Amino acid sequence: MTKAFDTPDEIGLEAMQAVRIIESVVGNAWAANPAGEIVCVSPAVLSRLALTLEEFSSQSDGGPLGWRRMIHPDDYGRSMALWHWCLESGEHFNIEHRTLRKSGAYGWSRTSAQPLRDGDDRILGWYGAIIDIETSDAAARFADTAEAAVQELPSSLSAIHPDDRTAAAHAAARAFWTGVPQVTRHRQRQPDGKYRWTETRAEPGYSVSVDIDELVTDREPRMVTASDTAGEPEPLRSARAVESIFGNGWAFDARGRWIYLHPFAQNSLGVTAEQLNVSVDEGHTAWKQLLHPDDYERTAAAWNRCLETGDDFNVEFRFRRVSGSYVWARTAARAARDARGRIVGWFGIALDIDVYKKTVEALRGRELELSQLVDMVPVHIRRLGPNGEPTFFNKRLLDFYGWKDLAQLETPAGSRLTTAMEMLVHPDDSARLLEAVRHSVATGESYGMKYRLRRSDGVYRWVDGRAAPLIDPEGGIANWYAISIDIDDEMRAQNALRDRERELLQLVDIVPSLLWRLNRQGEPTFFNKRLMCFLGLDAASSDQPDPRRLAAIFRGAVHPDDASGLEDALNRSIATGENFSKRFRLRRSDDVYRWVESNAEPLRDDSGKIVQWYGLSHDIDDQLRVEEALRERERSLWQLVETLPAMIDCAAPNGEPVYRSQQLREFLGYNLEDLDGTGKSRLDATLDAGVHPDDVAGVKEKYAHSLATGEPYARKHRLRRFDGEYRWVETRAAAMRNLEGAIIQWNVICLDIDGEVQAQDELRLAQERLSRASQSASLAELSASIAHEVNQPLAAIVANSNACHRWLLAEPPNLDRAKITAERIIRDANSAAEVVSRIRALFRQRVEPQSNTDLVNVIAEAVHLITEEAMRRRVRVELDIERALPNVVVDQVQIQQVLVNLIRNGMDAMDAAVRDRVVSVRVHRVGDFVATEVSDRGMGVAFPERIFEAFFTTKVNGMGMGLAICRSIIESHGGRLWVQNNEPSGAIFTFTLPIEVEAAA
Amino acid sequence: MQHAQTKAEKLAEPIVYVVDDDEAMREALLDLFTVTQKRATAFSNGPEFLETADIQAPGCLVLDLRMPGGTGLDLQEHLLLAGSRLPVIFLTGHADIPTSVKAMKAGAMDFLTKPFSDQDLLEAVDRAIKLDAERRKVEAERDRIQALVDTLSPREQEVMFAVVSGLMNKQVAYQLGISEMTVKLHRMSLMRKMQSRSLADLVRKTEQLRRN
Repeated sequence: MTKAFDTPDEIGLEAMQAVRIIESVVGNAWAANPAGEIVCVSPAVLSRLALTLEEFSSQSDGGPLGWRRMIHPDDYGRSMALWHWCLESGEHFNIEHRTLRKSGAYGWSRTSAQPLRDGDDRILGWYGAIIDIETSDAAARFADTAEAAVQELPSSLSAIHPDDRTAAAHAAARAFWTGVPQVTRHRQRQPDGKYRWTETRAEPGYSVSVDIDELVTDREPRMVTASDTAGEPEPLRSARAVESIFGNGWAFDARGRWIYLHPFAQNSLGVTAEQLNVSVDEGHTAWKQLLHPDDYERTAAAWNRCLETGDDFNVEFRFRRVSGSYVWARTAARAARDARGRIVGWFGIALDIDVYKKTVEALRGRELELSQLVDMVPVHIRRLGPNGEPTFFNKRLLDFYGWKDLAQLETPAGSRLTTAMEMLVHPDDSARLLEAVRHSVATGESYGMKYRLRRSDGVYRWVDGRAAPLIDPEGGIANWYAISIDIDDEMRAQNALRDRERELLQLVDIVPSLLWRLNRQGEPTFFNKRLMCFLGLDAASSDQPDPRRLAAIFRGAVHPDDASGLEDALNRSIATGENFSKRFRLRRSDDVYRWVESNAEPLRDDSGKIVQWYGLSHDIDDQLRVEEALRERERSLWQLVETLPAMIDCAAPNGEPVYRSQQLREFLGYNLEDLDGTGKSRLDATLDAGVHPDDVAGVKEKYAHSLATGEPYARKHRLRRFDGEYRWVETRAAAMRNLEGAIIQWNVICLDIDGEVQAQDELRLAQERLSRASQSASLAELSASIAHEVNQPLAAIVANSNACHRWLLAEPPNLDRAKITAERIIRDANSAAEVVSRIRALFRQRVEPQSNTDLVNVIAEAVHLITEEAMRRRVRVELDIERALPNVVVDQVQIQQVLVNLIRNGMDAMDAAVRDRVVSVRVHRVGDFVATEVSDRGMGVAFPERIFEAFFTTKVNGMGMGLAICRSIIESHGGRLWVQNNEPSGAIFTFTLPIEVEAAA
Repeated sequence: MQHAQTKAEKLAEPIVYVVDDDEAMREALLDLFTVTQKRATAFSNGPEFLETADIQAPGCLVLDLRMPGGTGLDLQEHLLLAGSRLPVIFLTGHADIPTSVKAMKAGAMDFLTKPFSDQDLLEAVDRAIKLDAERRKVEAERDRIQALVDTLSPREQEVMFAVVSGLMNKQVAYQLGISEMTVKLHRMSLMRKMQSRSLADLVRKTEQLRRN
């Protein structure tokens, strides 16, 4: 700073002081002599450029070297041009240019300079300032506003009275520097050339001038010029000098007491310097009475420190006006020193910055609002440099990434753009996006595309990004503004929709149905693949469905017999909007006509108008065939049931009849329904009305049993026919069960067996007659048999008698031979008598004297007796006798007779048999009896009891006596004789004989 | 001829075969035939008889109709099949008509019902033996003529059957394609071999051959 004052004689003190003040207020001030040589520069500027003042001001390339260094080369030329013009014309110098900043980068600044003139309006020198233009919009606006205000004034300066021009210029300068509205009073030259007092209030953007000529009493200009200040104390002088530039100057003595305050300030505050100094006397600082209590302590501390150190004082505070309201002001003060450097006082200015403050507040508010807006709108906003490098992300975007600022993008390698692409964009999209950005940067065209951004949680989300360039006045690209909107949900929804659509389409082709669509007129607009295949169309041709072609193909495939019916049905549906449903035959690709069932429904729009028809066809050919076959079978079964020569009845599980075949209905003479309403169940009604009174109880009991147990029912009874005749019927019923085994129905069959029953009766009667007849025939047979038995010995007797007679008549008589013959006669006669006696015994059924006999011998002898006959009849007789059988008391001959009879019966039974001609005789003990079984392999016995009756026989020549005699013999022995059928064939005759009890023996 | 008859009787005295399952009956019958001096043998059943007896011997068979091991009718059939002309007399305890007819048709001599009179039986046996003898005599004569015929040459036989059928010599010569002289020569030769003095005798002899 000291160097700045090295050439004081060449520049007015006032200019120097102004520079210092300006410097203290805004920094970076400078001053120049009328020739434009820089005489003073803020040390900060010099140190930044590493230049001395001399170096700074040395001429280079049409201007000071300092400026050459400081100002961006692109801006230097026009800046210098303007500066030289201003030096010649004395016009206000004001230009924006890029300035080399402390950081080493260029930043936009505004340089303004104003000439300092003496009373003769000669330019004494220039003082100026360099103001960095903040990057924020608010600062830019601030600068614009200030400029506007400044530019407003110079246009009218020429109309201002020369005496007031300085003050007006000062006011303009104040406006220029601070942007604070200023009120100035000056004499304005009227069109008639006279000056009138005018008060002008200048606010950013406009100014209002009010003619106050009549009101002004103090017609002397209050402005103090530099020449007026000579001889006053230094601080005061300085204050006046400052005041002359800015107004509202003030001065303190070295102790900090008021020695000067602008009269306007004193007026407006309603205080004098003396009054203010009372506070100093009270131990406070001189500011005490003026300041807002909230600001005082801070201000006082700063002031006291300045008083102690001699540092510059520069604070903002609120001071009180007469009205009692506080307004913001900035106060800057500097110590005035004597030649020895001692502080002799303080001088400074107070600038009313209330409006400025409030404007700034407002602007800040707006900026904040804007910034909030930028941050709050649900849109990601970013700003890119002209080269595409991201320079700003809004909060939403930062939040989206989970970042605090853009620092994350600062990587040693690569640009911010590529880093952002790598880090933030989905790998599949980054190349595409980068390409788009680069294209836009190169061409200046906007871009817009959809891509995926990586959210802080690592999830990629679809966004719709757009960018547009901000074109600067020169037509270059200042910035790119880009937004991106999170459209992930929409994308997902869209994808889901697309998937669903595709799925639907696949479904349409995959479902095993023939699907089609008709337009409103009934022309086909879509066939699904299956239908295409069915009709034998290749899928490729279906891609361009030509309704007329499809219609023609379809019509061609419909069976000629069904075509008209189908047409009618379709036309009716199209006309009425009714659902369409039709069965018809459609020719398949293999030229086979298949039955299909087609249904269609219209799709209507909101107004109910039909848009198109959706149809579905099923191949029901197989189904139809099956149904037809089923119907056919059912019909045939029905006919079977109805025409079977049997009466058929179906009943519910509880026995209630639910169906009766025609035969049964005709037999009974009434229908099933006729039974209803009688108060009885159908079953009871049928039984009571139909079954013969003698049978009904048994039938009901049997029915009830079957219904309760599920057992089959079978019974013969008499049933009343429609004509009142009772006829024998055989009824059988069986339960029909489901898979679980539960009865679901009773099926009843009822056969009219009246004819058979009658025939059986007749047969039985015939048999009885026959039986009686055969009995008499048997008597003849019996007598013949007896005759044979008796005749045999009789014939021998006769023959012997004759022989004996001849022996005796012979010459000479042979007595010896006669005697032998006579003995034979006796023997034979006895034999004959025995036979007769046995026959008598048989009929008397008396047991002849019995003896304790070994049964085994008796049986063995009997079997031996029959063996010869058995051989002749090619029958084998097997004998199986249990060992150690006890003796029995029997008539040997009778038992043998029984045995021979039984064995002979067995052989007779097997006459017809070809093989297995065996009669087995088995003797074993059963309890107190010995049982003898004679079994054959013949036909078996049809009437196990009747065969023991006398004169009952199944043989052609039989007498019917054998078994009757056998039984009477066995029973007379205290045993039993019975027969049962043998397995697998034949009969077993068994007789038992009691074992002789030991005690009785 | 007389000589031949005597010789046959000497060679084969007729025998009476008895077949009956009843022993008492067999004894009684054998006793009866013994007392009437007839040669007799008894068998208890048919198979035994067929095995041991000479069924070609002269005589007759007294057969019980009802026997175990085959009825009398079966045995009668057997004999016929074996070429025996033995006359059969049936004995039966109770004869029914169908059985009797069947037996008679098969060549039974007689049918006696037990008990029978010894006279009836003996007459039936005599009759049967006589019939058998006559039949045997006829057969013997036929055999003798056949033996004579067998001595003829084939041509002589042809000439003989042509002559006995009533043809004249020249007719025979024409039929056989030979000369009448040759026919005469054959005729003389065959008359000598046939031991016939006349045509009538020759005719009678050839007739006897034809009868069987």
